[in-house]
Amino acid sequence: MKFKVALAALLMAQPALAAEGERVQITGEIIDTWCYFSGVMGGPDAVVGSAHHTCALWCSAGGIPVGLLGEDGEVYMVLKIEGDDQSASGDTQMTLASHEIVADGMLYKRDGLNYLVVEKVVEDRGITNLNHEDYGVVPGFAIPKPKK
Amino acid sequence: MMKRLIAVCALIATPLFAQDFSEGSNAKTWNLYAEVPATFEAEVVDILCTVAGDCANACADGRQLGLLRSADNQLVFPNKNRQSSFNGAAYDLHPYCGKTVDVDGLMIEDEDIPGAKNIYLIQFIKEAGAADWEKANKWTKVWAEKHPEAKGKGPWFRRAPRVNAAIEADGYFGQGLSHEDAYALTQ
Repeated sequence: MKFKVALAALLMAQPALAAEGERVQITGEIIDTWCYFSGVMGGPDAVVGSAHHTCALWCSAGGIPVGLLGEDGEVYMVLKIEGDDQSASGDTQMTLASHEIVADGMLYKRDGLNYLVVEKVVEDRGITNLNHEDYGVVPGFAIPKPKK
Repeated sequence: MMKRLIAVCALIATPLFAQDFSEGSNAKTWNLYAEVPATFEAEVVDILCTVAGDCANACADGRQLGLLRSADNQLVFPNKNRQSSFNGAAYDLHPYCGKTVDVDGLMIEDEDIPGAKNIYLIQFIKEAGAADWEKANKWTKVWAEKHPEAKGKGPWFRRAPRVNAAIEADGYFGQGLSHEDAYALTQ
């Protein structure tokens, strides 16, 4: 009987319901997560910042999830920003593509991923990672040849 | 008693994460470093609702949707559909929100990149038990229906009004460079 009770308690403790959130303030860059996680266009250093800004716009508009790449190296999947829950192709997240921001909100963790509900963008520092000076443009076709 | 309890704890804590979902997969490779074919049954869920309990607008257009895997209750985040032009998975999942489905695609789990776990590229979807698979390639069709004003030649991302407005305002690098100057930096 005790064993069954203990087992039931353990199973109930599994994350079937919404997780408990934690109040956090995180500084980082708004990135497109697919390019960052998959490596489809190169290493992590090349798929962030100004070099990847145009692609970040495309991915955000295309509904690829955006994340906040924190100074701690962790990626926080952004589900909502200042009341805007349009996390698949929404306007708010797109205006912040590649920007370094200070975000205040609630952090939730589940199954290896960090999820962030941004209640306030405390500071928007714009694009501060000027890595186009090192990488040019990523992907290379992002800037078409100008028409004469 | 204690030994049994420890054994149960060990079962819950570890082996489920190591399950192999590649058997029976017909997913095509993208030649990604950390890709693994994965086909499984899952419930399509609103992630904001499932994770944070923000459910008033659950399954609405524009919210990210996830896959709550039946075998182990893991929440899988489909970042990408099968199209190759910067398309997410929400449009392909949206008709199935709240339903149980079978999916096939590529799982990305890269231990060298923090957070690269339970990230998924969905290639096929069908209601659980249905005979025929659908390709997860709806994004461009749905986008075209939403943006008739952007009809034209070339890929959608060259015609997207919001993208073009952002580039017009701040340039391709977001630094205010003209098109010509930005292009020159890449040569």
